[in-house]
Amino acid sequence: MSLAEEYTETSDDSRLERGLAYVQRNSRAYLLIAPAAVFLLAVVGYPIIETFRLSLYQSPADSNIETFVGLQHYVEIFNSDIFYRLLWQTGRWVVAGVAGKTLLGLLIAVHLKGDIRGRKFFRTAFLIPWGIPYAISAVVFRWIEHPQFGYLNAILLKLGIIEQGIGILGNPSLAWLGVVVADIWIGTPFMAIIFLAGLQSIPQELYEAAAIDGAEKWHQFRYITLPQLKSVVLIATLLSTIWTFVSFDVIWTMTGGGPISSTATLVIHIYQVGLQNGNLGRGAAYSVIGFLFLFGFAIIYLRIYTRGGDEL
Amino acid sequence: MTMAGHDRSSLRKVRLYGVLIGLLGLMMLPFYAMFSSTLKPESEIFAAPATLVPSDPSLQAYLQVWTQTDVLLWVGNSFIISVGTVVLTLLLAIPAAYSCARNDFVGKRTFLLSVLVVQMFAPVVLIVGLFDVISQMGLFNTYLAVIVPAAAFTLPFNVWMLYGYFKTIPVALEESARIDGASQLQILTKIVLPLTKPALVASVTYTFLYAWNRLLFVLTFLTDSAKYNIPRGVFSMVGALQTDWRMMLTVSVIGIIPLLILFAFLEEYIVAGMTAGAVKE
Repeated sequence: MSLAEEYTETSDDSRLERGLAYVQRNSRAYLLIAPAAVFLLAVVGYPIIETFRLSLYQSPADSNIETFVGLQHYVEIFNSDIFYRLLWQTGRWVVAGVAGKTLLGLLIAVHLKGDIRGRKFFRTAFLIPWGIPYAISAVVFRWIEHPQFGYLNAILLKLGIIEQGIGILGNPSLAWLGVVVADIWIGTPFMAIIFLAGLQSIPQELYEAAAIDGAEKWHQFRYITLPQLKSVVLIATLLSTIWTFVSFDVIWTMTGGGPISSTATLVIHIYQVGLQNGNLGRGAAYSVIGFLFLFGFAIIYLRIYTRGGDEL
Repeated sequence: MTMAGHDRSSLRKVRLYGVLIGLLGLMMLPFYAMFSSTLKPESEIFAAPATLVPSDPSLQAYLQVWTQTDVLLWVGNSFIISVGTVVLTLLLAIPAAYSCARNDFVGKRTFLLSVLVVQMFAPVVLIVGLFDVISQMGLFNTYLAVIVPAAAFTLPFNVWMLYGYFKTIPVALEESARIDGASQLQILTKIVLPLTKPALVASVTYTFLYAWNRLLFVLTFLTDSAKYNIPRGVFSMVGALQTDWRMMLTVSVIGIIPLLILFAFLEEYIVAGMTAGAVKE
């Protein structure tokens, strides 16, 4: 029953009574969400406001003196070459990462879909990279890609592909690829699991009908699987885009953004400027730019999620 | 079935399993590199090029790691942080989710949607603002400095997971208990929560993993090395000039063992949690 309906009820006494009852019932409802709401306002809401405020100040982390500088940080950021370089590096990081995760995830899901013996085992095994600390995955990849003692070089040498060990993570033009591989390894399981769930929700009759009509496997994939999977793919790639965009632990552990900032993304730069160099104001201004990206992603997500007036 | 048809379907099976095992093998390579390296003696781990199979495998590293590193301390801290985050998150999420599932009130939709937006608000873009808030609250170098933000960022998942599940529990059950004279708290703990077990397990696992795995908060808010968790401990072993790879990889193996046990038992719940929100029934 809606609020309006309850208040337009007839007789005075009962209206008062029901009004009071409504307030009472709802005061409990509000009381129960209050701790969570207050907590989120304090731990997420307030820092958001604080970030906006700080972005207008010159504020070194190691002192209490703040100087108001207005939009100076933003002006300097937009006039700097670093910013555009960061955008490019973030862009290629996200595009390569999400593409890799999506394709590999799809490949795994398609092969896990059917009547597989030991599917639970496979599904659990494929899940592991997603669920272990990013920092651990990152050091393992760092070890694999080690210029002298790494397994990758040992394998490439054995296969005769290279004649001398290569230092991927020390090379400004290769390092980002060395890191993106680790990020794809970590992010693929999520995509595979989501796609698998999506595939399993496609009615089997569609395939049976297509098979009777003599449709080939590829055509079945193209004309049944992909369209049916569309919304799942949309949401999964969007979530993956957000997570890849804000991916911090992997890059930070593998390269710290280097060499010569070649693996720095926007969020890595936020951390370097704001916390490592202690320039809170500038870091906050970069954060606000990060907010804008996330805000854009969030709007798209909510659009998809609440599409068709679905009830919450 | 004709002979040819039989051949074709078994050929397809072989190809299917071939691809799966190939993909699995590729995915397992990093684990192999990690584990096999820990079986090598110190002299062999610094062989160039690396030996792909340990020539003289030994578990020596697993005996040394307890005295040569603080791994036990780090695992303990990881547990404190993870359990603390789970408790705080559930204390906040259960009442909120229950309230939204059972009542219709002005602001509910706003609350639920804002919670969803928080989920998307990655901690790293908030870290500068959080840094200010955590220092204002005087939480630096306390476990709470990590638990509080981790709880905030796992709260959305918990609220939505539990909210969705609470809605499927018939109100009639609660009403009959109320008639029998059960209090609100009794109804929640004795009737509703036991029925919510699948969602609770998914929520707890998600939150536990989140808190166990993340480096960012510990890196930023805990400078006291006595409070490092596993990711931070591993990170601290990466030296600019020198890294004890053998010990670091051994710590890494130990740091993921609790998680592997968790996966083996709770895989279904984890998958249910991962797909919630992305795949609509």
